[in-house]
Amino acid sequence: MSSGGPLLHFDGVSKWYGSVAALLDVSFEVRTEVVGLVGKNGVGKSTLMKLAVGLLAPSQGRVQVCGFDSGTREARARVGFCPDFDRLYEPLSGVTFVAWMLRYHGYTATEAERRGEEVLTELGLAENMRRPIREYSKGMRQRVRLGQALAHRPQFVLLDEPMTGLDPVARAELSQHIRELPSQGVGVLVSSHVLHELEAVVDRVVLVHQGRLLASGKIAELRDQLPERPHRLRVKAARCRELAAQLTAWPEVEGVSFQAEALEVSVSGHRGFYERFTNLAAEWHGGIQELTPLDDDLAAVFGYLVE
Amino acid sequence: MTSPANSADANAGPDRSDVALPTAAATVFESARQTLLMLRYRRVLWYLPIALAVFGALTFVLAGLVHGRISGHDLFCIIAWWGLGTVVVPWITLFLGVQTVHGEIEDRTSQYLFLRPVRRVPLLLGKWIAITLAASAMAWCATAVLFVAIQARADLWPDGRQPHLFWSFGLVLTFGAMAYAAVSVFFGATFRRPLAWAAFFVVGLQMLTANLPVSAGLRQVTITDHLRRMVLDLIEPDRGLAHALWPAERDESLVELSDGAFRFESGSPLVSLLIFTFICLALAAYRYACTEYESRARD
Repeated sequence: MSSGGPLLHFDGVSKWYGSVAALLDVSFEVRTEVVGLVGKNGVGKSTLMKLAVGLLAPSQGRVQVCGFDSGTREARARVGFCPDFDRLYEPLSGVTFVAWMLRYHGYTATEAERRGEEVLTELGLAENMRRPIREYSKGMRQRVRLGQALAHRPQFVLLDEPMTGLDPVARAELSQHIRELPSQGVGVLVSSHVLHELEAVVDRVVLVHQGRLLASGKIAELRDQLPERPHRLRVKAARCRELAAQLTAWPEVEGVSFQAEALEVSVSGHRGFYERFTNLAAEWHGGIQELTPLDDDLAAVFGYLVE
Repeated sequence: MTSPANSADANAGPDRSDVALPTAAATVFESARQTLLMLRYRRVLWYLPIALAVFGALTFVLAGLVHGRISGHDLFCIIAWWGLGTVVVPWITLFLGVQTVHGEIEDRTSQYLFLRPVRRVPLLLGKWIAITLAASAMAWCATAVLFVAIQARADLWPDGRQPHLFWSFGLVLTFGAMAYAAVSVFFGATFRRPLAWAAFFVVGLQMLTANLPVSAGLRQVTITDHLRRMVLDLIEPDRGLAHALWPAERDESLVELSDGAFRFESGSPLVSLLIFTFICLALAAYRYACTEYESRARD
């Protein structure tokens, strides 16, 4: 694979189950970065991930991982996948399960055992790695699934709902790990229905809806591409009524409403608004205490796009 | 926790670029090893020692009851064939095979294997070998228990004890385990309800069709017929025992059909059984390698 090339490349990919289209003409790339895969349940996120790891074959188009067609041995050697289903070899211990999987990557028994111990220790499972998986909590099982995805040091990792079952501390730690992977040359495609968590982790997002690629890019850029949707801002300041009267006269402001000691301002052309508002705030007698965007997060952008 | 990819030092394991992917033979071996180790946890196998003890005790009692009416030789052959050859070995092998292959597909743990950089066919062959070994081991144990239980009645053996019976049935049941294991992996890889198909296969094809006269012409597609001809060839029974083992067959065909069962030539039971096994494995391998087990069509 050429340096800096895409680690995951979808080129006009469609997937049909009989007469049901799960994905339609999807094209995008992922490089050494963290990309979020966003969509409601049943829109094709899991299908897309399984196409990437070769568990499914595209009905049309081409999927490449690390420069190899997905599903080939070369591609599978370079990809790690953490599935969303909670099934494991229940009688085995966590470390044995990971070691067994590593044996199919060419590791000797000793190397596989050692690497399994190492990766599960790093995932915070050191004390319980030798207990049977059937005795594990949901969070511990999730760590084992992550362990088998990362143990063979893949170049590209797909994580399907990786936060499921983790406590808040573990979620924060996992988010941090995911953020660090690109610095080690590892690309990541991660899906989650907890959009605010995803937002904190990803460099950009791929939005999927009804089997189609709805949008792709950084969240702020996507928000800017919705001019028909005025930005909503919450402004908390002294002399609210006076401020509201002044803002209403600005051409960028479409409306102002009072919300419990604050103003909710609808703005089109928000860049011009911010310039004027910065000047105003510097001169405003009593000060502006708060200016908070209400709808430029991932959840709002996604909601607008699928409406 | 610390970052798995980040903290991996050079000595912790081979770097991905240095690791040679496993060969097909290594994959078969590893798959067989893992499957055998997983079979340890099958609860049905925990009861095996108890079942064997009960089987031995019942046989011993039965041998006492039939004293004077049947020889130990014939009693052993009849129980070994009708009990082990047509019921225990087929059912146990099919059950283990179906649970091993289909169970992993159904609970989706097979996906962890399909993600690895190995081909699916060696994975399946490893499972088939493991099932064959496990079922053969059980068949040998059951045969040994049966033999010892009847041997204990010394008065049933006027011509002296005949250990070749034990080896003969052990060998034939091993061939049976091999063929039934191939059927089980095919059913497991192909059908959504493989145990129902297995029941149809054993009852419909092995118990009924295999016991039709030669003129029915369907016995070639069964395992039972080939195994029985192997048994008859090895033990060389008298007319009474031959009829007990093959009630539907006419006298003149018994000797002719049972001769040369182990010859390596077209139409012999050995070659027919190997071909049958190969076809089942080929079909199973095709299904296992080509099927998208996540597809909605299957669900």
